Amino acid sequence: MSTPQSASMYESAKKIYPREIGGRFANLSKIATTMLLGLFYAVPWLMWDGRQAFLFDLPARKFYLLGLTLWPQDFPYLALLLIIAALSLFFFTALAGRLWCGFACPQTVWTEAFIWIEHFTEGTRSQRMKLDKAPWSLSKFRKKASKQFLWITFSMWTGFTFVGYFAPIRELGLDILGFSVGGSTLFWGSFYGFATYGNAGYMREQVCKYMCPYARFQSAMFDKDTLIISYDENRGEPRGGRKRSVDRKAAGLGDCIDCELCVQVCPTGIDIREGLQNECIACAACIDACDSIMDKMNYPRGLVRYTTEHSLHNETTRVLRPRMFIYAALLVILCTTLITSMAMRTPIILDVIRDRNTLYRELPNNMIENIYTIKIINQSNDARAFILSVSGVAGITLDGIDDAVRVDGGGVMSLPIRARAHRDSAYGVNEIEFGLAALDDESVKISEDSRFLGPTP
Amino acid sequence: MISEEYRGAKQWSRDKQAVFTVVWISFLSAAIGSMVFFALFDPVDLSVLFDQDLEIGRDAGYAAGFFFFWVLCALCSAVTAFLVRTAPKRDAKHRQQ
Repeated sequence: MSTPQSASMYESAKKIYPREIGGRFANLSKIATTMLLGLFYAVPWLMWDGRQAFLFDLPARKFYLLGLTLWPQDFPYLALLLIIAALSLFFFTALAGRLWCGFACPQTVWTEAFIWIEHFTEGTRSQRMKLDKAPWSLSKFRKKASKQFLWITFSMWTGFTFVGYFAPIRELGLDILGFSVGGSTLFWGSFYGFATYGNAGYMREQVCKYMCPYARFQSAMFDKDTLIISYDENRGEPRGGRKRSVDRKAAGLGDCIDCELCVQVCPTGIDIREGLQNECIACAACIDACDSIMDKMNYPRGLVRYTTEHSLHNETTRVLRPRMFIYAALLVILCTTLITSMAMRTPIILDVIRDRNTLYRELPNNMIENIYTIKIINQSNDARAFILSVSGVAGITLDGIDDAVRVDGGGVMSLPIRARAHRDSAYGVNEIEFGLAALDDESVKISEDSRFLGPTP
Repeated sequence: MISEEYRGAKQWSRDKQAVFTVVWISFLSAAIGSMVFFALFDPVDLSVLFDQDLEIGRDAGYAAGFFFFWVLCALCSAVTAFLVRTAPKRDAKHRQQ
């Protein structure tokens, strides 16, 4: 690499002090942060039918989502959901650039919240810079200590909430109050809490710059019609300071007064006027900053603005382009598949395992018997009665089973079953089909293939 | 100017980049790996395979599985990073620089 750097891992790097800025996009970002964090902290407390509405109960291997209970067998839904999420990311990146980075990424959102705390305890950007340079004093200690106290409390609450998605949060809260938290809960809670503290308090934009794979490959999804945040060079240059009274055209100046506010507000510490950069997370703070200056100067807004490469070069921007249609079509197909398959999902699973020890048994009266182990899983939340049936061989009957099998809600039942058929109709290998139907609902039924073996003719 | 404080500020050293990238990316891979793995297999069933007397709860099983994947993935990407970074340079032009 061209820049000479010390090889030490612990070199103290210069810290970025993003300056606070108000404006349209700052408000948008505040709304997004509040909403997303609000959701994160509130959702585990929601209840549904007397239990936690969203609970990923790993110890019981069941996921509860509102009225739905998902089993490990439903994993394809999760996989499909992840693919849809990835594709949506592609779609929105191609359409509007790094919207995700600037407004929705947990890294951004928590960093934002941590900066609020910092602002609250240590003051504005210049106050923070002064404070860090100042020698230790009682007031500096007080400010730093209260920041740390708030950061750590917030992180611990975050860790607690995170664990609350996997273990019932109300019981967890009581456990914590009674100092009887289980080891794994404590471990994962601290793990997540510490990661939040480190990432949002200290690593911040470094995570985006050095550790985020998306930040590196998102440019592959960009084209000349993608919404980007850009400085209008034609309008801004030549930049330079001037008094408000100066006629800029007569002085031969562009609209940029070189106040560097756009640099000061940037959370990743770049200068947007140097063009589109990999480090830019598209938070739009520089737009707010520049607009506020343009207003003061009585220049039109938008020297730094959301635009596209095409429109910067005075060409037409096409929102509807083939790539958007392809992403959108794929998204529609996948979403439809997910929704229909979930709607058509039968809440029962039937497994049939033929006894491998004996091929078949010969009974008196020329009857042949095969033995099976039947496993019934009732994925619905209520107990249900089922009728088990078999077909495929003339006159085949089941023995060892009552009229109806009752399985508890969320229960699994294993049954040894004997199937019998007359010798004449059961020579060789016969394909048979077991059927399972709920007594209370005709639409809930499922079938499973198996084999019935008889003597060679 | 104030912005000078920023320009080129806070560059991570190459070692630091490598360490954090390896740890983080292997963490993500391990998360995906354990998700798929434990959707298919129940740790309680698996513990029987190793030792009949081994009584390991699901929680501990998940944690053990996750850390196993994490270490494995970290090892894999660390070796990859090491080999890429220590590979002989492609041509003499590079070497002179």
